Amino acid sequence: MTAPLLEADALVRLYSTRRGLFGRPTTVQAVDGVSLAIEKGRTLGLVGESGSGKSTTGRLVLGLERPDGGRVRYRGVDLPAPGSRDWRRLRARMQMVFQDPLGALDRRLPIALQVREPLDVHGVGSASERAARTAELLAAVGLGVHQGQRYPHELSGGQRQRAVIARALATGPDLLVCDEPVSALDVSIQAQVVNLLVDLQAQFGLGMLFISHDLKVVRQVSHRVAVMYLGRIVEEGEADAVFAAPAHPYTAALVSASPHPARRGRPRIILAGDPPNPAARPAGCAFHPRCPVAASVCRVESPALLPLPGGRHVACHLAQDGAQPLRAAV
Amino acid sequence: MLRFLLLRSGRALLTVALVVTFAFVVLRLSGDPALLIMSVDAPPEAIAAFRRAWGLDDPIWQQYLRYFGAIAQGELGQSMRDGRPAIELVAERIPATLALTLPALLIKLGLGIPAGIYAALHRDSAVDRLVMVAAVAGFTVPSFVLGLVLVLVFSVQLGWLPSGGQDGWLHAVLPTMTLGIGGAAVLARFTRSAMLEVLGQPYMRTASAKGLPWRRAVLSHALPNAAIPTVTIVGFMVGSLIAGAVVVESVFSWPGVGRLLVVAVSNRDLAVVQCILLLVAVTMVTANFVVDLMYGLLDPRLRSGAKGGH
Amino acid sequence: MAELAAAAGGSAPTRRRIPPLVWFGIGWILLMLATALLADVAAPYRFTAYDLRNRLAMPGDPLHPLGTDELGRDVLSRLIVSIRISLMIAFGATVISAALGTLMGFLAAHFRGIVEQVVLMLADFQAAMPFLVLALAVLAFFGNSLPLFVCLMGLYGWERYARIARGLAIAAGAQSYAGAVRQIGAGPARVYLRHILPNIASTLIVSMTLTFPEVILLESGLSFLGLGVQPPMTSLGNMVGYGREYITRAPWIMLAPATVIVLTTLAVSLVGDWLRDRLDPTLR
Repeated sequence: MTAPLLEADALVRLYSTRRGLFGRPTTVQAVDGVSLAIEKGRTLGLVGESGSGKSTTGRLVLGLERPDGGRVRYRGVDLPAPGSRDWRRLRARMQMVFQDPLGALDRRLPIALQVREPLDVHGVGSASERAARTAELLAAVGLGVHQGQRYPHELSGGQRQRAVIARALATGPDLLVCDEPVSALDVSIQAQVVNLLVDLQAQFGLGMLFISHDLKVVRQVSHRVAVMYLGRIVEEGEADAVFAAPAHPYTAALVSASPHPARRGRPRIILAGDPPNPAARPAGCAFHPRCPVAASVCRVESPALLPLPGGRHVACHLAQDGAQPLRAAV
Repeated sequence: MLRFLLLRSGRALLTVALVVTFAFVVLRLSGDPALLIMSVDAPPEAIAAFRRAWGLDDPIWQQYLRYFGAIAQGELGQSMRDGRPAIELVAERIPATLALTLPALLIKLGLGIPAGIYAALHRDSAVDRLVMVAAVAGFTVPSFVLGLVLVLVFSVQLGWLPSGGQDGWLHAVLPTMTLGIGGAAVLARFTRSAMLEVLGQPYMRTASAKGLPWRRAVLSHALPNAAIPTVTIVGFMVGSLIAGAVVVESVFSWPGVGRLLVVAVSNRDLAVVQCILLLVAVTMVTANFVVDLMYGLLDPRLRSGAKGGH
Repeated sequence: MAELAAAAGGSAPTRRRIPPLVWFGIGWILLMLATALLADVAAPYRFTAYDLRNRLAMPGDPLHPLGTDELGRDVLSRLIVSIRISLMIAFGATVISAALGTLMGFLAAHFRGIVEQVVLMLADFQAAMPFLVLALAVLAFFGNSLPLFVCLMGLYGWERYARIARGLAIAAGAQSYAGAVRQIGAGPARVYLRHILPNIASTLIVSMTLTFPEVILLESGLSFLGLGVQPPMTSLGNMVGYGREYITRAPWIMLAPATVIVLTTLAVSLVGDWLRDRLDPTLR
């Protein structure tokens, strides 16, 4: 295997929030020691509930925010500081697709102008070349020239997201971070946009980080998958293997909650307890209050992310002992 | 509570410091004080001596600190016109100004707040419409126009009241009315909208649904809550007891602080202007500070600092 | 004031219909603009021309429809020129204030941290001190000239634009279009001027219409005190100040400009309030 396109190593991101202007600041660990690698032409799915730190991870990976710990390397080089000249130039190589396409587009400019904007910003080609490239991009995402002349509010949600994707691809990047790209769209449209992303990835050989809480979608696009819980990766491995036989009880619960034809008839694992709150991180394994198989060690000791056979990593005392938490739970 | 007090007093001092800085910066930007104070054709040696005497050749930050120190000790310089200490000149005008602004404040409060409350409780009634018309007029008619119209009616046409000067309480009637009417209209409009907002709150509906008589609900729930925003504007009015009469004093040739300010500006009597500027700042800051304290009393939530700043 | 417009209009404002008072406001503003633009053509006399045989002529005089002053100068002609000057100053000052305030707001939003704190502190200071006194202090220190006077008026109300621009720019930058454009690699100039500014322009324009009448009042107040526009130039406040000397013998000298001041501030306020309700109900 060649060196990965992008490597993130032990990323940490803290947010300090205050209650009011004069309240005592409290620190929240949004991301706590996340490492991942994205390879050319392959997709890493990042799964987790809201508050798991997956969006923050996406922003760190793109260099939109500076990590408080750890480093991100693109093609072996550390990312420059946000806002610097080098950082801006690097934007042509790595792009983002947002959850809310209407919010991500400027409602006062026609679509084509916005798709063209990265070309203007990075000074790619002549004016006529940019126009031609814009038309090509619109066509690549399935938008017509007349739709390019429309304003964002005149398009449907799916069309807007296509426009955002076209803009992201304008400079021919080799890395794309998609943050919940379809969760704001109608279910009927979701599949079209997901298929478009898969096609474009194959066509351009993009490395992709696909962030979603929706396992069904992640399963469809990802080669590898990483599951996050309260700022940490709890399981990571080949997508098919992870979904077929989850090693972490949290993954197992997520998988069982997601409908899938092959798994019909099996009982669903219902997670007990409160949804994760980054401000009140439990001691020991962060998942233990909701874990159906938690043992006493889980309350005290935080499990490390360790390799399992088959290129998989998991952070669970029980799974690492060779037990089968999924079976045990059922 | 102590933390709250400390923060607020720190903020008040900061504002005064800003005003001093403003005066210093403006003074320095306006030209060489030596040339400004000495005549243009003064001999160069005299100017050099002056510069040395006043430390004008020192680094600017030293001058700034010295300026600050002098003001902190109450040394505000002498009037360039008659050489008397500026602070004395200003102080002897304060009673005249307060003789106008204090009764005017009573008119504003006594007329504006009840009118606003009544208008809000009787929405769309004739009184409500009248209050709104008056409020708009209070905003669009500048005080010098209102003052002159009152002069035209009560002095020129009816001959009831004197049109200017300071000679007995009759002379104070028109300027006080001018100040009071305009302010009362603004206050009425403000009180009205504060009341309307409170009356629309769910807890008011709950109170009446629980069988609390409407009068009691208004007295015990609506008024205290509507008072919170109203206190701000009243605080501003109290803060402008000194500075709020600049125009009106000029209209009626009333020898107060405002008139002094206008004359001092015309004569470029910088020490007097600076003194009034500081006086106004201190009044304003003190009023704001008191408003903040009253907030604390009216709204216990603020005391813990849960909602700082505006 | 829109409530007043509705009350005086007799019925609640419907979404589409423009209330009669707003029509009046629009009409008056247009009349004032036309007067200001066509002042040279519209004024029957030069505003400084004496007519010593017709001193203190009453309004309705066949030669001088609004009468003349002590020196026999035509009140109508002076009024027309005053409207031009006063509107020019108020317009210039409003534009300066909006530009300055927006710039400060953008700086605060872009740099955050200490820059933001300083901008907010200055804004608080500006809002807490009576502007008239600050303006008088500056005039005392610097003396008076028209450009300086316009710039000074241009400091009035900048803090409102700064707060609006800062708030909206931060909102746009966080998770929204401005963040997306920045993420493309666009520099601050492109993000703020090409994207954020057009998006917040309507809000800024509404607040300009709300500040404009206050600037007119401020200018006329200072000119009335003799510390604003200096003779031989004339402005509305200037005319009132001059007319005050003749209030017993020739009240029309003062009443004509006073009426224009009141009607103009009323008209702009009515239209501004209506615009705010239509375009941007979030503004207070």
